[in-house]
Amino acid sequence: MSALTLVTIALITYASRAAAVVLLPRPSARFETVLSRIPVAIFASLATATLLGAGGALPAPPVLGAAAGALLASPARSLLPVLIGGAIGYAAGLFF
Amino acid sequence: MAVFGTLYGAAARHVLGVPLTLLSSVLVYSGALQFAMVAMLGAGAATLPLLLIAGVLNLRHLVLGAALRSRFESGPLRRAALAFFLVDETFGFAVAAGTAVEPAAVGRTTERTLLVAGLHLYVAWLVGTLVGVLGGGLTAVEGVAGAIFPVLFIGLASLAATRRSHVVRAVAAAALTAAVAVWLPGLRMLAPVIAGVLVALPGREP
Repeated sequence: MSALTLVTIALITYASRAAAVVLLPRPSARFETVLSRIPVAIFASLATATLLGAGGALPAPPVLGAAAGALLASPARSLLPVLIGGAIGYAAGLFF
Repeated sequence: MAVFGTLYGAAARHVLGVPLTLLSSVLVYSGALQFAMVAMLGAGAATLPLLLIAGVLNLRHLVLGAALRSRFESGPLRRAALAFFLVDETFGFAVAAGTAVEPAAVGRTTERTLLVAGLHLYVAWLVGTLVGVLGGGLTAVEGVAGAIFPVLFIGLASLAATRRSHVVRAVAAAALTAAVAVWLPGLRMLAPVIAGVLVALPGREP
């Protein structure tokens, strides 16, 4: 990645923060609802994309175990238990 | 925040190199986006998917910013400066602090909390990134690098899933992404953006 791309991403990020605080009116209720749904879908999608290789190839057992452990801990809705679950799952995967 | 900054620095330095890793934390200051960026770059993403993921992931700031704006009292220049510190965590702190005071003090308290919390978290994020970049005894982290991103994104998804319908949408987005990875591998790194938007659109319930 070039420095220019990084600066562009930084500008996009700042613009998104400043737009609503400085310029834009509050989004409509419908738009606000859709916006609120996007992060969870993207994070789940990114988890899948980083887990699967091209062609849907599965990762090594420890990585798969880490993802499974994190998923099992995810109802806690807190990062720490998810990280601990992932670490336990990773360790368990080393035995396969 | 410092711990995640350390994880980010350790993971990103191999993908971005040391100068860009540090610069990314200085300029972007968004953990979720920076981790997404590094994960996508590591999987071979080009510039367009990176810009798209930045645009789509940052859309949530419109909602956070709009919710805060009605509480602010200062002029546009000060609001523009405060906007840099608007991240999920500082939004939560600022709203909570503003809610706990008399109506006359809401604006001042909300703005001060956003600034103070934002500065503290920003410094913690930068120090964490620096520690991660410098190694910080993190050879163990490098060994488990392949597992860090899925685990982290599962954690972030669990935090963002405040309703049962969000969980359903998350599962649908994951399934859609897996299908793209299997049948359209060339579009694999665009899948998070496409799936994120497609899955978020239908339905009227929150």
